[in-house]
Amino acid sequence: MCKVSGGQLVMVGLLVASLSPLLPRLQAQSPDLPPGPIRDKVTTACTECHESRIILQQRLGKGAWTKEVDKMIKWGAVVDAADRDAFIEYLSTNFPPDKPAELMPRSAPGKRQ
Amino acid sequence: MMRPLLGWAADLPVQVSGKDGMIVRSARFLDLEMPPEYFSSWTTPIPHFFVRNHMHEPSTLDADTWQLTVSGEVDKPLTLKLSDLARLEQHSVTNTLECAGNGRAFHSPHVPGVQWQKGAVGNARFGGPRLRDVLNRAGVKDSGKHVMFRGLDEVPGKVPPFIRSIPIEKATDEDTLIATHMNGAALPRHNGFPARALVPGWIGAASCKWLTEIKVLDKEFDGNFMKPGYRMPNHPVKPGDPLNVDDSHPVAALQVKSVISAPTDEWVSSSRSISIHGAAWAGEADIVKVDVSVDSGTTWHAAQLGHERAKYAWRLWNFKWKAPHAGDFTLMSRATDSQGRVQPLTVDWNPSGYLYNAVDKVKIHVQG
Repeated sequence: MCKVSGGQLVMVGLLVASLSPLLPRLQAQSPDLPPGPIRDKVTTACTECHESRIILQQRLGKGAWTKEVDKMIKWGAVVDAADRDAFIEYLSTNFPPDKPAELMPRSAPGKRQ
Repeated sequence: MMRPLLGWAADLPVQVSGKDGMIVRSARFLDLEMPPEYFSSWTTPIPHFFVRNHMHEPSTLDADTWQLTVSGEVDKPLTLKLSDLARLEQHSVTNTLECAGNGRAFHSPHVPGVQWQKGAVGNARFGGPRLRDVLNRAGVKDSGKHVMFRGLDEVPGKVPPFIRSIPIEKATDEDTLIATHMNGAALPRHNGFPARALVPGWIGAASCKWLTEIKVLDKEFDGNFMKPGYRMPNHPVKPGDPLNVDDSHPVAALQVKSVISAPTDEWVSSSRSISIHGAAWAGEADIVKVDVSVDSGTTWHAAQLGHERAKYAWRLWNFKWKAPHAGDFTLMSRATDSQGRVQPLTVDWNPSGYLYNAVDKVKIHVQG
């Protein structure tokens, strides 16, 4: 169990306050993608538009991943041409057809509209 | 050691305004699936009604400034406010709304897309003026063959806008609405506030949310979400093969389908007396029966249908069963509709995983 000093709490409070405009997005923060040399680039390119759970739930072969990556590039994903094959390799290695299905969280009771 | 702030954020529960206990397939774009236990209510409460967003939700939605334009193949283009819609004759339709991709996760081989299982579906009472009353005010020309809907979704990157069209015959059906209400209250934000199309019996994608433009066209809308999106092959294709758009048709009305909501898969029952229940729907047709099998499909028994019913709405059903002995059992449900369609044991694979409606199955274990 870690101990946190009053000063640390104040600093965290200030940090949270400074980020408060981002909190709705942070509350929907996604799980990290699996480790790999291209992970950061995949995360940046894909999560500009949608969160990582969209990727985590896919179970596709290399051919299907190739079509998805090319479609997303056409739809505006910023992927360096030199990285395209590495994206496909990373996605097809980490999210192949035979991997067990991803468990998804339940939504917490949210504020009524 | 203190954890980084982003780590905390990742561990935070996904909070969604007005929605409780939903399976979060995606928080951005928002895609929420209803868990099986919520099939127990004939009318799905708003907090449990599924959400399927293709894009970002509109960042601002103001009922006072919202406008709906009607243009295209009409004599008199219109611009309507919410108060204008409220002055038209109001109509109510209880409709089972289902995402075309509901059940996509059960296709083999897997197909890309949101991996919906059973719950991208809900049953609600929608209210608002008939679309045909609005179209009649604008005066549809003889050249008007399709009606296009555009919503206020905010499009990321170079993604094509989510625009689709429906044939004029369905648009002028007496039950097709511009819905402003859901279960007696104003439409909730995630389900299309302040107005959406409601195309009963058809896939959810036909019922455009955050509606802001109606355009009458002389032909089917030619855009990504009509072609190649939301199309089914005219003939079964080999699993893994791409869609041949020239040999395909738009997905429209829903299939006959039933799901078992309880017991859930891998349930362990301490009692031999088991209530099997679920829901069944058939788009524009009526459910006439649901059969249940408790022996992996060898024999079938008629389930009791719930009394609550309406055109386009699902029927709840239940079957009381006493297991003859302890052990493992595969329970199945199979619906039949008024068009003579019977839920198949298996479905033909299609490249986008649309309209999955195979006989539902759950495996349970009965103790002592």
